Amino acid sequence: MFTIWELILQQTVNGLILGSFYALVALGYSMVYGIIKLLNFAHGDIFMVGAFVCFASFGVVSAALPGWPGIVISIVIAMIIAGIVGYLTQRFAYRPLIKAAAPRLSLLITAIGVSLIIYNAVMVITSSRTYFFQSGIEAAPLFQAGMFRLTDIQVILLTISASLMAGLTLMIKKTMVGKAMRAIALDRDTCRLMGINVNKIIGVTFFIGSALAAIASGMYNILYVNVSFSMGYMFGIKAFTAAVIGGIGSIPGAMLGGLLLGLLEAIGTQFVGSQWKDVFAFGLLIVILIFRPNGLMGKTEIERM
Amino acid sequence: MFKKSRKMVAVLISVFLLVGILAACDGGSSDDIVIGVLVPTSGTEAYYGTDMMQSYDLAVSEINEAGGVLGKKLKLFQADDGCDPNMASTAASRIVAEGVDFVVGGYCSGATIPAMQQFYDANLLFLLSGANSTRITEQGFQQSFMINSPGSHAVLTLIDLLKYVGAQNVALIHQADEYTENLSDLCQAGLPPAGFNIVAVEVMEKGAADVSAIVTSIQNSGADFVYWCGYHADGSNVIRQLRRGGFEGHIAVGDGSASPELITAAGPEGEGVFVTSPPFVEFAVGGEAFVSAYRAHHKMAADDDSFPGAYATLAYDTIYLLKAAIEKAGSFETAAVRNAVQSIEFQGLSGLIKFTADREPALSNFIILQIENGAFKKITP
Repeated sequence: MFTIWELILQQTVNGLILGSFYALVALGYSMVYGIIKLLNFAHGDIFMVGAFVCFASFGVVSAALPGWPGIVISIVIAMIIAGIVGYLTQRFAYRPLIKAAAPRLSLLITAIGVSLIIYNAVMVITSSRTYFFQSGIEAAPLFQAGMFRLTDIQVILLTISASLMAGLTLMIKKTMVGKAMRAIALDRDTCRLMGINVNKIIGVTFFIGSALAAIASGMYNILYVNVSFSMGYMFGIKAFTAAVIGGIGSIPGAMLGGLLLGLLEAIGTQFVGSQWKDVFAFGLLIVILIFRPNGLMGKTEIERM
Repeated sequence: MFKKSRKMVAVLISVFLLVGILAACDGGSSDDIVIGVLVPTSGTEAYYGTDMMQSYDLAVSEINEAGGVLGKKLKLFQADDGCDPNMASTAASRIVAEGVDFVVGGYCSGATIPAMQQFYDANLLFLLSGANSTRITEQGFQQSFMINSPGSHAVLTLIDLLKYVGAQNVALIHQADEYTENLSDLCQAGLPPAGFNIVAVEVMEKGAADVSAIVTSIQNSGADFVYWCGYHADGSNVIRQLRRGGFEGHIAVGDGSASPELITAAGPEGEGVFVTSPPFVEFAVGGEAFVSAYRAHHKMAADDDSFPGAYATLAYDTIYLLKAAIEKAGSFETAAVRNAVQSIEFQGLSGLIKFTADREPALSNFIILQIENGAFKKITP
């Protein structure tokens, strides 16, 4: 048995791992909402597409490059293809509506439509089968104290997530593209007058958000192995929840919301019971929203991005 | 479910009915003992019905070649229940009208139950080879015997396994749907009286990826045995994460996970995992001989490995059990054979078969498999 501190530490690590997956996907929801106020429901399905592309590429690449090198290459391919799919949804489904100044509700319904199209297309293509990502990588315990253990895969995944989030924050704070994103979030029309290529920046935002989801799905494949068309559905809803809890439109908020949701689920499973974990986690989230209606990092007059 | 009866099917049945009547006219000698067979040979469950029918046919021709039963030959009369209650009623009427001596079959419980009443009214002994809902017993028909184990028998086999590995503290994981939660409930009811502790009951939502929190919770519960009540895709994930999380106790999975895909999916972490499995023919004692006889009898091509399926051994055993009961009774009279079945101890391919006073099997026909070097191996505790 664990001592109580080992138990809390172990569940914290479990929660942080799950939470960093939520956070990476939540970033995509938050960035898109921040820049064009669209709840991109298809984002969970982009995550799923990323997982399948990664699975398929690894099937080809692993013959020549087994293990980590093959996985890294597959994830890069998944990032590019998921990024392109994300860009294309924006280019052909959302941009015409934005251009026509369509009501927000039309955009929302379009997003649900895009989500269903991707979901059902992948379902048909894969005949609803569950595939298994055989990475050939065995987790080795890196650190062990009493019952508490930390494996090398866990440490690698946490490090990658943390550096991605740090990198994204830097990009948005320091680069021209990031500055343009923040500017568009504040006032799209003025940006156009200032000579910013608004459409291009929106496209870049979709590409980055989708690529981040693809990195998450690649790491998800290594850790959880099962790949199926429905994997993005619940996951997307939870990541979206995380984005709202953190304050949708806020990048640090999405990270915080994701980690918080992961931690609540792990702690809830341990101390309330796995059948009640969602009731516990979502109950607490409602309480948070009652006290902070704009989310943890959201401001009433929010500076998006 | 199974309300797929279409006009087309109805027309086909009428045609078959006519053909059946015509065929009955020129049938063999009136001395033959006719066994009615109620199985689905059309619709979604046609595979299993056909498989059972082919097994009955094999057993009957073997028995006839060896001289029959009490000097009489056996003959089958099949009617298609289409796994549909309405079709089953029609099929049962046909069987009764044919004047059969006994009835075997029964795959879909929903289609079998309406037919039971008609067989009861006609005072026919009915041996059910496949259908295993507890609702069948609830009908209370004294001439109907269930040969396949109901789901609750998985728990009996699990108890054998727990004794075999010497485990004491059991953690259960289910997926909060009817089938898996029911299995978990049966374990919670059946294990403590047998002297085992249930130390944790966890729920994994279907398709959820991360079960690390559940794994930690199970490790903290002091469990030395984890029983997964769900299906193989999520089950393989649970097995992997239990092992990667450092769980060193035994892991077993229920019949929902009894699929070769489990081995591929669980990978190296699957080694040593136990399965409480239905009696697949390849693990039966004498199973190989049965499979080659089955293939030869139905002239199957060498590359055709579609049959026999999961219910073939049970169907085959049903006919031999009937033969044994008739010989024991020394008569073909329903009441005498019925009493002989009630008290019989019959060693079949699927194991020893005997019945409780409720006419359910007294012994579990579930078997224990273990993954060893990437393949299932049968364990006999």
